[in-house]
Amino acid sequence: MSAVEKISQPPARKVDWNWLGIAPFFLFAIVFLFLPSLSIFYRSFQANDGSLTFDNIIALFTVRDIINAYKTSLTISLITAVGGAIFGFLLAYAVVLGGLPRGIRTFMSTFSGVASNFAGVPLAFAFIATMGNAGLVTRWIEGIFNISTRELGFSIYNMWGLSIVYMYFQFPLMVLIMAPALDGLRREWREACENLGGNSYHYWRYVAFPILMPSLLGTMILLFGNAFGAYATAYAFSGSFINLVTILIGAQIQGDVLYNPGLGNALALGMIFIMGMCMAGYAWMQQRAARWLR
Amino acid sequence: MKKINIWAWIVLLIGMVYFFLPLISTLEFSMKMIKDRYTFEAFRVAFTDRAFFEHFGYSVLWALLTIFFSTLLVVPTAYWVHWKLPKARPYVEFVTLMPFVVPAVVLTFGLIRLYGRPPILLIGSPILLIAGYIVLSLPYMFRAVDTGLRSIDVRTLTEAALSLGAGWGTILTKVIFPNLRVAILSGVFLTFAIVMGEFTFASLLAWPAFGPYMEEIGSMRAYTPQALSLVSFLLTWASIGLLQWIGRGRVQEQVAGAH
Amino acid sequence: MSSSNKHLSRRDFLKVGATALGASAYLAACGPSGGGAATGPDLTSGNSIPLDELTAAAKAEGQLTTIALPHDWANYGEIIETFKSKYGLTINELNPDAGSADELEAIRANKESKGPQAPDVIDIGVAHTATAMADGLVAKYKNANWDTIEMKDPDGYWWAEYYGVLVFEVVKPDIVETPKDWEDLLKPEYKGKVAMAGDVLKSNQSVQTVLASGLARTGGDITKAAEAGLQFWKEMNESGNFIPVIADQGRIAQRETLIVMEWDYLALANRDALAGNPELEIVVPESGVLAGPYAGGISAYAPHPYAARLWWEFVMSDEGQNLYLKGYAHPIRFNDMAKRGVIPQEMLDKLPPAEAYAKAFFPTIAQLTETKAYITENWRKVVFGE
Repeated sequence: MSAVEKISQPPARKVDWNWLGIAPFFLFAIVFLFLPSLSIFYRSFQANDGSLTFDNIIALFTVRDIINAYKTSLTISLITAVGGAIFGFLLAYAVVLGGLPRGIRTFMSTFSGVASNFAGVPLAFAFIATMGNAGLVTRWIEGIFNISTRELGFSIYNMWGLSIVYMYFQFPLMVLIMAPALDGLRREWREACENLGGNSYHYWRYVAFPILMPSLLGTMILLFGNAFGAYATAYAFSGSFINLVTILIGAQIQGDVLYNPGLGNALALGMIFIMGMCMAGYAWMQQRAARWLR
Repeated sequence: MKKINIWAWIVLLIGMVYFFLPLISTLEFSMKMIKDRYTFEAFRVAFTDRAFFEHFGYSVLWALLTIFFSTLLVVPTAYWVHWKLPKARPYVEFVTLMPFVVPAVVLTFGLIRLYGRPPILLIGSPILLIAGYIVLSLPYMFRAVDTGLRSIDVRTLTEAALSLGAGWGTILTKVIFPNLRVAILSGVFLTFAIVMGEFTFASLLAWPAFGPYMEEIGSMRAYTPQALSLVSFLLTWASIGLLQWIGRGRVQEQVAGAH
Repeated sequence: MSSSNKHLSRRDFLKVGATALGASAYLAACGPSGGGAATGPDLTSGNSIPLDELTAAAKAEGQLTTIALPHDWANYGEIIETFKSKYGLTINELNPDAGSADELEAIRANKESKGPQAPDVIDIGVAHTATAMADGLVAKYKNANWDTIEMKDPDGYWWAEYYGVLVFEVVKPDIVETPKDWEDLLKPEYKGKVAMAGDVLKSNQSVQTVLASGLARTGGDITKAAEAGLQFWKEMNESGNFIPVIADQGRIAQRETLIVMEWDYLALANRDALAGNPELEIVVPESGVLAGPYAGGISAYAPHPYAARLWWEFVMSDEGQNLYLKGYAHPIRFNDMAKRGVIPQEMLDKLPPAEAYAKAFFPTIAQLTETKAYITENWRKVVFGE
């Protein structure tokens, strides 16, 4: 802001009534999200007998199982966020700007709507039915190469197998959210770029990606959160074999075996904290990306 | 331009294979209900249960209600953040990311504890259920609308409309909404799918939604649940197709692009 | 056109909202419970209420809310239907997938609300009864058949309803030679074929599976069974015989999990349901036969206390217990009923041979708690080496 604008600014202590515009939103969030979730906060500091304790929080940093769980959860969330973003973007680009028949875009959009929430037991089943020990593809391969995957010890029940499963709802999410953003890329810009002697690389590096970056980042953090909080799919796929935080939480606050809701809530608190950190990092990246615009 | 075309088809093909192979595997399995031959018996069982369609209908109703209120809540908020209050963005986005990390069970029991007892007794009506659904779909709805808003020049459009003497109602409905049509539709699809598949809230709040019904079927004899999950996939897809058709605009997609 | 639409929808919203709020307030005012049973039979003493008084009071309440009762688990489907048709009450069935912790949490969360989402009766793992009592979540009641129940809380806060033993569920003809005992599972021909029906950290059934295998190894010594069990599964994992997928009817039908360890009533129900597609053979292991009872209770905050008690009078009666048996679960009053000859012979014939059950081991609650803690704490470390 220039000096003139600064002088003509009203004194800083005045109330910014603009915040009233988003009051309904925050009111809703407080009533239906924050208040009911407050228990996460105070239960984290409760032991099984109700007394106050920091043991649960300390456990987050000291118990090897828990640290590994966070590591694995973060890893798989990152993998599927980035992988989902890359292929999802390619898919979105293909249907929006790839010169494909218009009907395909509608097909892809509506399919993505359903697929984005095809998760949990049916999704795990579908993939086990495809690539599990007795799966369709597995049987084809066994038939063609005359081998037995069970003998070879080949198993899909690991982090990579689960990542492949997660992509099923990550790709569609990316497609649905980025398609409108791709709509906003005007053809004139591409033509202008080419007129100035630039090729595809220049267009993408200097025009398209900078413009799309805020949306890309926003969608990636959505994908990240989506994978981070996923539970039903992972559990239906391989139980607690793959060590994820959501699975640990489930084991502590539900189920028939363990019962330490204090620890479960502390784990959730940890997740909230990590999500907050990611938000901060993302906000910082947004600021840098925004420097290219305006 | 031709080069792009080929890559587009290749990407599409890979995508289709990835998406449909698991569905085909599920179909292949569900057809094995009778030993040693392929049959659609499992599907017949699925369709003769009236409860299937009843529960599906209930969930569709609640999905539409959720979509309506969610849109009402999210679109003006996102618009306001873009237009007047960029400073609030981090806070709003934090709120929209919270539903990912709050376990659904915790949220449901929290809602019951707070609003399920006299004098606030909200349990009798589906208000709590819909509120819960809105919370769950918040991340997706907001992100979809937010991305859409980025691709149009909100500032210029609003200022132009204001200078032409338009009131806020007109601005929202005649200027903003039409340009956000595709983005809002994305959010609508996502919300619809979420509500149709949601289980925890409906089950613990004791409402006859589709999610709990599917879970109950899932514990039945094998083959039927798989057939049902495919049928529900198709039905949900058809419903979303219907929403798409209702929400289709004119061929001219957008009034203004990004700056 | 569109702006007037928007105005209409806002007004509509207010109308709907106001009506909804008004309706709920009205419903709350002329609330449920209260009703006429203010002067019903006494609930505080915990003694059995005569059936006709109880039935009348329950019918006045009109409904019962259950939780965590899948229809194909120990024949709960038929038990619920029979109860409904016999007494004319409606039953709200909450979350059949709920675990014991969920059930207790549901009671806690609904302490002050009396709607259809608050459970009246619960069916929990025996190990959870301690928490239920400590947190004051269950009310005491000694039903008419109290004396012949072999496992219960002396004050009447909980009682065992039924039990099963862990068996091997084997898919034929994929498995040529059926395993006869726990050690057989380690054979190389079973590579990539053995699975549990739940997750060790979440499912009581799976923890008991580990315990049972350990019991087989230590020859019945429960004190060392947990450690031995973990060692057994470590070997199962290293040899690749154990696959970490959670087996259910779908996976078995799919032939993904060819040997599964489950409670006998679940395995036998699967066998019947799949009706040969594929064919299942159920084997009680020769050693390490572990019995797992489940406990029933009444919520201390039950919106329908009389209906709840009527439920238990029914379930713990000869008729109710025989329905469990029809679902292949051994009713807890089995011995008493067998002595009095009230068990139909056809039912007995459908069960695995009685000699197999003669060796069944019933851990005490203390043993259950201790072994469960040991197994869950060390499962990952020992078996997966993390």
